[in-house]
Amino acid sequence: MPTPAAAESADVRIEEEHIEIARKRFNEAKRAERNLGWMLVAPAVVIMLAVTAYPVLYSVWLSLNRADLRKPNGNKFIWFDNYITVLSSPIWWTAFGVTTLITVVSAALELALGMILAIIMHRTIVGRGLVRTSALVPYAIVTVVAAFSWRFAWTQDLGWLSSGDSAPLTKFWSSIGIIILAEVWKTIPFMALLLMAGLALVPEDLLKAASMDGASAWKRFWMVTVPLIKPAILVALLFRTLDAFRVFDNIFILTSGANHTSSVSMVTYSNLIRGLNLGIGSAMSVLIFITTGIIAFAFIKLFGAAAPGADSGGRR
Amino acid sequence: MRLQHPAEVKGRPSRRIAALGVIALMASLAACSSGPKGIVINLYGGASGTGFDKIIADCNQAAGGRYTIAGNLLPSDADGQRDQFVRRLAAHDDGMDLLGMDVTWTAEFAEAGWIRELTGDEKAQAIKDTLQPPIDTATWKDKLYGIPRTTNVQLLWYRKSLVPTPPKTFDEMLTMAQQLKAQGKPYEIGLTAAQYEGYVVNINDLVTAYGGTLVNADSTAPTIDDKTVQALAMMRRLASSGVTSESLSNAQEPEVFADLQAGRSAFSLNWPYVLSAMREANPAIVDDLGFAPYPSVDGSTPKVTLGGMNYAISTYSKHPTEAFEAGMCMRDEKNALSAALDGGDVPALATVFDEPDFIKAYPMKDVMLTELKNAVPRPVSPVYQNISTIVSTTLSPPGKINPQKSADKLRSAIQAAIDGKGILP
Amino acid sequence: MQPATTNRKLMWWGINILVLLYAFVPVFWLLSLSLKNPETLNDGKYFPTSPTGDSYQAIFKNDDFVHSLINSIGICLISTLVAIVVGTMAAYAIARLQFPGKAAILAMALLISMFPQIALVTPLFKIETALRLFDTWPGLIIPYITFALPLAIYTLSAFFREIPWDLEKAAKMDGATPYQAFRQVITPLAMPGVFTTAILVFIACWNDFLFALSLTSTSRARTVPAAMSYFTGATTFEKPTGPIAAAAIVITIPIVLFVLVFQRRIVAGLTSGAVKG
Repeated sequence: MPTPAAAESADVRIEEEHIEIARKRFNEAKRAERNLGWMLVAPAVVIMLAVTAYPVLYSVWLSLNRADLRKPNGNKFIWFDNYITVLSSPIWWTAFGVTTLITVVSAALELALGMILAIIMHRTIVGRGLVRTSALVPYAIVTVVAAFSWRFAWTQDLGWLSSGDSAPLTKFWSSIGIIILAEVWKTIPFMALLLMAGLALVPEDLLKAASMDGASAWKRFWMVTVPLIKPAILVALLFRTLDAFRVFDNIFILTSGANHTSSVSMVTYSNLIRGLNLGIGSAMSVLIFITTGIIAFAFIKLFGAAAPGADSGGRR
Repeated sequence: MRLQHPAEVKGRPSRRIAALGVIALMASLAACSSGPKGIVINLYGGASGTGFDKIIADCNQAAGGRYTIAGNLLPSDADGQRDQFVRRLAAHDDGMDLLGMDVTWTAEFAEAGWIRELTGDEKAQAIKDTLQPPIDTATWKDKLYGIPRTTNVQLLWYRKSLVPTPPKTFDEMLTMAQQLKAQGKPYEIGLTAAQYEGYVVNINDLVTAYGGTLVNADSTAPTIDDKTVQALAMMRRLASSGVTSESLSNAQEPEVFADLQAGRSAFSLNWPYVLSAMREANPAIVDDLGFAPYPSVDGSTPKVTLGGMNYAISTYSKHPTEAFEAGMCMRDEKNALSAALDGGDVPALATVFDEPDFIKAYPMKDVMLTELKNAVPRPVSPVYQNISTIVSTTLSPPGKINPQKSADKLRSAIQAAIDGKGILP
Repeated sequence: MQPATTNRKLMWWGINILVLLYAFVPVFWLLSLSLKNPETLNDGKYFPTSPTGDSYQAIFKNDDFVHSLINSIGICLISTLVAIVVGTMAAYAIARLQFPGKAAILAMALLISMFPQIALVTPLFKIETALRLFDTWPGLIIPYITFALPLAIYTLSAFFREIPWDLEKAAKMDGATPYQAFRQVITPLAMPGVFTTAILVFIACWNDFLFALSLTSTSRARTVPAAMSYFTGATTFEKPTGPIAAAAIVITIPIVLFVLVFQRRIVAGLTSGAVKG
């Protein structure tokens, strides 16, 4: 019969073996999870890389060259000269200022109005399908045609919003106002849709509990709903701001960029496609990209833990 | 604790979508029909005007089976067309044979080596019986790069009831407009001054009227001098004398036309299409519509800017000889007349102007012919697009032009464009 | 939920009408433009005084437009389907699984959606010409999927994050494999996100202009927005306002139908009983 000491050490050994086995199983499970994770993201990663790797790298390479599409053999490596040319030009900075103005104002308006629309779409007790589908119609209309119909509407004497003696599209501030109106009208549904889907995930019980505790609708909104839909707000605001910074169609149709209403995308188009100056055009594209990168970085820092994939979400 | 989960969504929506997708895919494969056999000459540009199918069918017959012309559509705006051409030509695409080129692209495409030079016999055929100015638009560095097909010039349209004798100079026009305004009658002078190509046409008209040019002949330096300053001063006067529309700086051809249609304009500087379009838009005004030569500075024959289109043959085309034949057929006398009558395309062939049908449809043909014989192209330069952008942005809005300062700005910006430096607005 | 008294219903109808006004007033202007004849096109009135169906007739007689409708429907359906499937897989992995490289993938996805597409068009064109994909359906489908994936992944992972872990654990304890857990538990709850993303991806593809214009050259693959830019007026200087407006109205109808069908599903997956015992 084993001595108490031997029995104890046998127990310890069995325990150690159990721990070994558990650790092995844990590592295997981890590896399996890791492999599963990679397998699931593989198609997306492959598609995205295959299609955009060459174009993006080629654009960045071109931005360091003097290149003209009409002279395919005349490329010359000039380091950062293109960037210096662009960044020291008032044309670029005026466009940058106008673009920032439009972006900030329209994103703010779209968030506020989009939230209101999302709540309406989510909470209305009559005609739900009608309201939800109709609210998406502005987003569904082709941008250039919508812009064209706004231009027509605001052109003196030709449209229903114009009066006989004013030409709002020929002055800077009124043009900017109309451009922002066109942008906001068009993309509120984008925000509203993302926010509404977020609202749909807020459990009714929490809101009921809060109202039973005496919280007003306003308080319930800010204290219960908003924290829970932070991820949806982040996605909606992030993507909308990135898109707003690259505004092109509305300005192109409404004013052709007259009165200094050009955006950075329009200046890029002018140099890259009209002027066929690949070097400058690519440098501008990279600069736009860097700016949107800074915006995205700021957003993600601002929203912190609400970023997707940022934490394990209370897993274990 | 057993889970109560909602009824499984058995992927029914996605299956429906998949089914739709498969059907759509099969439909698309079925639509991949085999094209015509034999040599196909791919025409790009000007293939969608009214009555164009007739012309293509006619020329296919004349080809007698040696080749078939396939008309391909292009975007309706000139910039969009240039986009498509440039992208594919820069990639040496052999899918385009005959190109319908706007007259301002010749130097650019020729310098880049994208279109073929016409020499010897082909050159002689292409310019036979053709008006000289359109030939100039197809020429770069004394070489011919295209078959002139259509041309265009602006006219002075005016309301006969308000303007008994049309003005011959810009000053006269301004004075008449101001008098009409004082009398409380419709008085506006309509011209295109939005920040786009149509504005450059008008600027070019003014600069040439004062005897100046914007760049020298082989496009190595800008030629901006005091004549340019005078021209800019006149544009400023036109825009700020209170006789133009409030929305002048956003006016393109449709807006200028609408002002004439609604009876707000007494004068309208616009292309010949106004006559046939007005017949549909406002028949009441058509009888009151008069046409006259474009104003000049001193009453002499005006030198206006040419529009129009030439046929060029792509360097990468595999069938240049057949493409040339096709181009010549499509713009021969019979077909040019047909295009003029059905599609409003003013021909570059001088002989068409004497056809009785043409005279009937174009009562303004004499005025046009006079203008055409003295017309000038826009600055002929491989960097024309840059120059155009520079001109239209620097001089926008027209009411705020500072003639001397703007002229200096133009000079330095155009020089930068020629040297390949600087950025475009 | 408060009883649906008449007062509350009226209030909601009032609010609904405001929403409808917001959405439709500019659209009716477009409709009005499509019904105007050349005489009244420029008269500045909101309603057409002598409506005519000429513009609609014109666009349906236009072979190119009809072909482009078919192209658009097919290309966008396929792109949406593939983007959703691929995006859902990636989003699930990012939100629920641990593996190295997550941050890099998210950053890359964002990077792709941030780079100005205008600069990517010419290199893409070169690739497609070399691979003989120019002017084909796959030639448009592949870029559309690529540029839809970032939004899809971000939106879907945001939704996957919100789904409580206990559900999956409970399903596994009941003996379900990870795949079964995914299909039967997670998928229904992710439906709001999936259908939201589907709608947004479809609309983005349907309205894309840049790629449609640059990567096609014939009616084999040209989609509707590009085809509309090919409409010509009677002469080069006349914009075919009527046909363009008519085409815009016509091509909005499939989207409205698509949304009408899917919008209900955005809340369908949610149940309040799933988490409690």
